[in-house]
Amino acid sequence: MALLDIRNLELGIARGSELLPVVQGVSLAVEEDETLGIVGESGCGKSLTALAIMGLLEGTAVRIAGGTIHFQGRDLLALSPEERRRVMGAEMAMIFQEPMTSLNPVYRVGDQIREAILQHRSMSGRQAHQRALDLLELVRIPDPMRRIDSFPHQMSGGQRQRVMIAMALACDPKLLIADEPTTALDVTVQRDVLELIRSLQARTRMSVILISHDLGVVSETCDNVAVMYRGRIVEQAPTSTLFSNMSHPYTLGLLGSIPALDHDVEWLDAIPGRVPTLDEAVPGCAFHPRCFAAQGACRTVDPGAAAVSPAHFVRCHFPQGSSS
Amino acid sequence: MTRPLLEVRELKTHFSIGRRGFMRRKSVLRAVDGVSFSIHEGEVLSLVGESGCGKSTVGRTLTHLETATAGTAMLDGRDILNLSPAAFRPLRRDIQMIFQDPFASLNPRLSIEQMLAEPLFIHGLARDRSEARERIAATLELVGMDANSMSRYPHEFSGGQRQRIGIARVMILTPRLVIADEPVSALDVSIQAQVLNLIKRLQRESGMSMLFISHDLGAVRHISDRVAVMYGGRLVETGMKRQIFETPRHAYTQRLLASIPRLGKRIG
Amino acid sequence: MNVPLSIAPVFRGRALATIGMCWLVVVGIAAIGAPLLAPFDPLEFDPLVRLSDPGWPHLFGTDHFGRDSLSRAIYGARMAIVIGSGSVLIALVAGGLVGMLSAYFVRLGHLLMRIVDVLMAFPALLLALVLMTLLERSVLNTVIVIGIVYATTTARIVFGMTLKLKRDVFVDAAICSGAGHASVLFRHILPNLVSPMLVQASFIFAFAQLQAAALDFLGLGLPPEVPSWGNMLSEERIYVTRAPWLLIFPGALIILSVFSMNLVGDALRDNIDPRFKDDIAGV
Repeated sequence: MALLDIRNLELGIARGSELLPVVQGVSLAVEEDETLGIVGESGCGKSLTALAIMGLLEGTAVRIAGGTIHFQGRDLLALSPEERRRVMGAEMAMIFQEPMTSLNPVYRVGDQIREAILQHRSMSGRQAHQRALDLLELVRIPDPMRRIDSFPHQMSGGQRQRVMIAMALACDPKLLIADEPTTALDVTVQRDVLELIRSLQARTRMSVILISHDLGVVSETCDNVAVMYRGRIVEQAPTSTLFSNMSHPYTLGLLGSIPALDHDVEWLDAIPGRVPTLDEAVPGCAFHPRCFAAQGACRTVDPGAAAVSPAHFVRCHFPQGSSS
Repeated sequence: MTRPLLEVRELKTHFSIGRRGFMRRKSVLRAVDGVSFSIHEGEVLSLVGESGCGKSTVGRTLTHLETATAGTAMLDGRDILNLSPAAFRPLRRDIQMIFQDPFASLNPRLSIEQMLAEPLFIHGLARDRSEARERIAATLELVGMDANSMSRYPHEFSGGQRQRIGIARVMILTPRLVIADEPVSALDVSIQAQVLNLIKRLQRESGMSMLFISHDLGAVRHISDRVAVMYGGRLVETGMKRQIFETPRHAYTQRLLASIPRLGKRIG
Repeated sequence: MNVPLSIAPVFRGRALATIGMCWLVVVGIAAIGAPLLAPFDPLEFDPLVRLSDPGWPHLFGTDHFGRDSLSRAIYGARMAIVIGSGSVLIALVAGGLVGMLSAYFVRLGHLLMRIVDVLMAFPALLLALVLMTLLERSVLNTVIVIGIVYATTTARIVFGMTLKLKRDVFVDAAICSGAGHASVLFRHILPNLVSPMLVQASFIFAFAQLQAAALDFLGLGLPPEVPSWGNMLSEERIYVTRAPWLLIFPGALIILSVFSMNLVGDALRDNIDPRFKDDIAGV
């Protein structure tokens, strides 16, 4: 049984009496010890999916319109807010893109980590302090004895993100959701943080959902990848399969948009046009206005997910690269 | 090789970052600390480095948005750094800047026409409104926008379209040197590719020179002729693009290149 | 969206602010149509009906000269609008210019903002009192004095907002296009200050009423014969036990109007650029 099993998740933004769909029919499964990457551009619904898993949509304009989210066999959407809060934080944790805004600037980082620990564990202040030190060491912050008394603004962006990771790990979560954890960081720091997440995972056997706009990041760190476009998963496969046999025109377009580092190309194969806004209803396949392979059926019929090979699903009428 | 259009020698831009306590000495941030490079006619030089290395400050100093502490920048044999604001103003037509954030760089209260007409009238490139409109329409089409969009306001456009408008504001002056400060890093991946292609095409067609400031090494490889790597306010390595990417000499360049996540590779 | 400040979304789902706006419309109509609406001449003495109770034909009763209180209250609305708009105009133009120029030209700002700081060190009413004692009692002088008092707070607020706008990238972009100081200030910065300043205006409008009423009450504001709500309070205060309605009606009008303007101001404030919300925290 998968640790996390999402079936047909539907999210919508309340606009007057209407519910504009922002996530449609998303099904995902994350096994224990697995890293799942979710790739897509802004507004594709990847972050909202994560927030739905974490139960952080309350108080926003986003509504859960359908589907189930099973975590360790329990349907999270059926739990009361109270029960839900107990699962959250104790069993799953999330880190965000901007580590500065996620940390409270007026408290020392040590206090904030201690707080996170004491929220879910009953232990003495001294024990919590020791645990905070251990965590800082675990996330490889140099000189944790001194750093534990620092304020967030006294640390670099990379160190702050490490502190966020330490707080997330405070209660040994089974699932860590990382939403663009390295987007605000420099490449050299990004490399260190990604390696840290990877090694922590190897050590604790937690599952990770890594949300990113960067195919390179996902390719290097994830076991499986789901590509999202405008609220739907358009392609999903094990990482090696995906990168050797991309099938959805959007995935191919994303790949073509990235300039290569080891050879020169004259022009990039950019995807034409732009992502339609929420108000613009697109009949048929949501990608067809930008798709090089679009034909008649694409304009009228929304394609379902079909397997091009075992464990490789594509939501396209005309999947590309029909090898294997 | 043609003669350099711009020749920067020992450029320094220091900022005083407030006094620490009363009567203490001001502390100084050496954002740019002795940078020298040249850009030839029709050439694209990229300035790469990580945040805080001073690469943006180089661009902002060359456009007088920051004041240089020391050094010279010769444009056509004339030092542009020591000019008064009034003396520099006519030269702004030749040195234009593309900004990073397409949401912040367009005044929300001005229509696209007002925004693009402003530089035309300032530099005396249009006599009246109809002449300006003609030129604005042509420039909008040049950057892949509909000429009808000139009556609309920035908030009606997506990020990619706004950045095209920002580029139009630059191109309408037919500058000789464009400083592009992270022009695509605020955009989505698929839009980045469109805008990068656009910038490359405009540069080729107009033959303008460009200083392309970026942390994105992929974009740098795509667009530049030569690359200068910056670290801690100084250049650590300058070379032809192929040399930098294929045989980097400086340890920092090597580390930078090794850090970029690549497709089909795996950590750990 | 902060682009065109339209009225409809400001009041959507805000019952109190809508009621406040309606009340202000009533005050506005009373001010414009005073000669038509007022049943009696507000200045005419009628010794026969001194201090009469509210009733027919004097709905609000009469004061100690026998003048009709309702008519005076209706003309008082006119004064309220004149004082409010006049002070707002002076405060926004003077304060706005000082604030903008001070933020843009740093050296000038050191000088001007210190003067503003000194003026702000006095409580608003005290400053108004000091200035009024130097001047003759007249409508114009009252407006000027209240305008100057609120010009100081406006200058502070505009100073802060201009400092933020000055750092905006679109200002850099305008400079790179070759725009000069005047163009940057009035073409690029000023239009972005309009909607927050409109909010500020609504608060000044409200506080000018209180300020004017206080000056009237202390005998330093409008000339005593001018029918204003403050003067009505001031003149009749000794009859508070014999004819309490003479104080209750104008007092209630002042409270209602000030409260309404504050409600409208709050509603407007929630619809402006979120960056500026903290700058405008009332006057």
